[in-house]
Amino acid sequence: MAGPLFRSLRSVRVLIALGMILCIAGCAIFAGWIAPHDPGDQNLLSILTPPAWVEGGDPSYPLGTDSLGRDVMSRLIYGARTAMLVAFFASIGAMIIGSILAHISGYFGGAIDWIIGRLVDVWMSFPPVILSLILMVGLGVGLGKVILAIVLVDWTRFCRVLRSEVLIVTRNDYVAAARLLGFTHWQTIVREVLPATLPLLITLVSLEMAIAVVVEAILSFVGLGVGADQPAWGQMIADARQYVYQSPWNLLLPIAAIFLTVAAFNLLGDGLRRTLDVRLAETGR
Amino acid sequence: MLALQAKGLTVTARIDGDDVPAIRALSFDLAPGKILGLVGESGAGKSMVGRSIAQLLPAGFMIAAGSLLFEGEDLVRMAPARRRGLLGRAIAFIPQAPMTALNPVRTIGAQFDEHLARFGEAGRKQRRERALAMLAAARLPQAGDLLGQYPHQLSGGMCQRVLIAFAFASNPRLVIADEPTTALDVTMHPQILRLIAEMQRRHGTAVIFITHDLRLAAQLCDDVIVMYAGRAVESGPARAVLSKPAHPYTRCLQLANPSLRSERRALYVMPEQMPSLRQLRQMMGCHFAPRCPLAAEDCRRSEPPQIEIAAGRSVACIRAAATPGIATTRRATAVPDSSGRPVLQVEKLAKHYAIDRGLFTNARTFAAVKEASFNIAENEFVALVGESGSGKSTIAKLLVGLEQPSSGRILLNGEDLTDPSMRRGALRALSLQMVFQDPQSALNPRRRVTNIVTQAMEAGSRHASWEERQRRTSELLAEVGLSADFAARLPGQLSGGQRQRVNIARALQHSENPGCRRDRVGARRLDPGPAPQSFGAAARRARLRHAVYFPRPLGGAASLQPRAGDVSRRDRRAGTDRGGLRRSAACSHASAAVVGAAG
Repeated sequence: MAGPLFRSLRSVRVLIALGMILCIAGCAIFAGWIAPHDPGDQNLLSILTPPAWVEGGDPSYPLGTDSLGRDVMSRLIYGARTAMLVAFFASIGAMIIGSILAHISGYFGGAIDWIIGRLVDVWMSFPPVILSLILMVGLGVGLGKVILAIVLVDWTRFCRVLRSEVLIVTRNDYVAAARLLGFTHWQTIVREVLPATLPLLITLVSLEMAIAVVVEAILSFVGLGVGADQPAWGQMIADARQYVYQSPWNLLLPIAAIFLTVAAFNLLGDGLRRTLDVRLAETGR
Repeated sequence: MLALQAKGLTVTARIDGDDVPAIRALSFDLAPGKILGLVGESGAGKSMVGRSIAQLLPAGFMIAAGSLLFEGEDLVRMAPARRRGLLGRAIAFIPQAPMTALNPVRTIGAQFDEHLARFGEAGRKQRRERALAMLAAARLPQAGDLLGQYPHQLSGGMCQRVLIAFAFASNPRLVIADEPTTALDVTMHPQILRLIAEMQRRHGTAVIFITHDLRLAAQLCDDVIVMYAGRAVESGPARAVLSKPAHPYTRCLQLANPSLRSERRALYVMPEQMPSLRQLRQMMGCHFAPRCPLAAEDCRRSEPPQIEIAAGRSVACIRAAATPGIATTRRATAVPDSSGRPVLQVEKLAKHYAIDRGLFTNARTFAAVKEASFNIAENEFVALVGESGSGKSTIAKLLVGLEQPSSGRILLNGEDLTDPSMRRGALRALSLQMVFQDPQSALNPRRRVTNIVTQAMEAGSRHASWEERQRRTSELLAEVGLSADFAARLPGQLSGGQRQRVNIARALQHSENPGCRRDRVGARRLDPGPAPQSFGAAARRARLRHAVYFPRPLGGAASLQPRAGDVSRRDRRAGTDRGGLRRSAACSHASAAVVGAAG
């Protein structure tokens, strides 16, 4: 396993993507030190100022202020914290639920597979955004609730894709051989099946992070995401929407932040898929 | 005029910028109405001959020198349009995989019609009549119905007959049959061979028969050429080459093939493998020398010339006179006598699968195994023999507990393994192991050899120290005849034969424990080629006590065990016969066919 992961570090895509993600994660972690202002501080004397390099900009607000006079740069940096927390925990949570069910389903087959398969079918037939909105209405706002909503909506993606991979791996004789050598089902899954499905799992997690960022932005945009006191990119877009003619920067900057983050995760996922997927590696692409 | 004459045909492959010869200076004469066999292991270059004729060489390969004269015209230098005119009409091909050679979405009739129209048979009605006549000549019953059927409705053997009818429909002067039986069950082999021979006689066609099976070639061909690493090492009349091989390679091949007719003997195990094209680049002298029991210093120095040893017989070996002296060193009596105490008893074992389970219909059941009963006594090797689909693999799965039987009992040392309390016991893992059929899929590509052969030490709550595992690994590797250097390798770094040995070592890993007995190894199908030898050799070396062996070619079974069981396809009952393989032919009609086919 260490081999292919190490090999993937030689891929340009993966390196660029990792660089971008590390920058964003750095902003998120060290937000308190980097941000020039507190994200909640209002300066009602200078509202909707443009970025510093534009005429009329104020050097103490590098990226300008919003309609309540809050520093946009600080809010973007603190917003990265929200986005990264959601991306990380939601995708890990969805991965845990989805991959456990996928391994059980693909490994045991039969009635268990049928039940889990139908559950995924029913679950996936709800439009995902509507489902998460309904969940948020039920759960209430907050960072933990957003993560929970995304996990509950997106575990099916993992389950569906991984199950077919588990089916293929389980058909190998070495899995039967492990059983014959006295491995329990649990040991067989963890030591024989999981190492073979891990590359796909890692790829799916990185793609799921991109999805989680988008879903979190949508939820905060409609005001059903994190609380109003906590800066989030979706919220910033929603606020800036009303003043889009006076101050287009306020709208464009959080959109750019979302775009870069999603692009980085997708690039990482694509790079990992290319280097970790045996079938693609063999054709030399 | 000769139907086909090859003069110094040399095909090269481009590897890392060098041109490496895949066929070197091959010359032969094929008279009309004769059958020439090209025999050799995969990679010997035999298929390249057929591909050179059709000019369908793989990328990177090219004809570097020599000529292929078809009735005096050189196919190599011929204009492509002229060659296309000959191929499919004057020169026809019988492919290796009949199921994939036919278009799956068109009926046999439509494909036959198109084929006949291509070489100018006028009139739909005449074409239909010709097709019916050809299919009837290929001994296909109800040819009229067949024309309306699709390839998937036919068995592999029937598809091959259809293709043989295709090939001979244009009254070709040359037919190239590239491994026409490889994809088929052994029971089909004699019928296909008979059909090719019959069609060949009727049309007076010259045939090139490409095969890896020495005995098939002997049955069908007038002359054979034995190829090794791109070179013809021996050629001559088929009977003479097969009965009195002059080249050590042919002799080794002959000894490596088990015989059903003669006395039981150990199979010859050829060391190493045929050199790949990459390895050929650095090789000096005779290419067979590294594996040859007769190799001397001169053999490694220069390439041996073709020596004419009798009329029409030549051999590329400087020590051909010593060839008849090559013999297997050990006699196959290493198996200790059986005490007759039954170790494994299988009583009326049956397995049904539910199929076609619809919403409103009752499930139908399919009986994979019906009332199989046999015993295995101490120190006994028993072979279960049968066509594909006859239930051999299901019995193997039932024995080791990967599937639960629908009815019947499996008694191991008197204890019933089908009893629910026994099903998941450690006992089964300790005393019953399985050597899997396909060593590729049987070894986890992410585990090193040490971790594979001592995998049982990780099972359950038992955990062994790393030192202990390494010690055990070297013991096990020694038992199957591998050096201790292999311990750190991954399966991807092993050859097929080495993988199979690791596969066997894994099945033996419990046998050290004094409390348990190494009871038996159920081996599923092993491919022809080096596998039967390595299983036999490794099993014997490892002093495997008793085994059920599931060979597909029955011949593989003959060298190993004193007793054969057979599973017939029709009634799915397994029966055994004590005392000898040949007599098992009397057991049932189906087994007679299997034994006949393998012999």
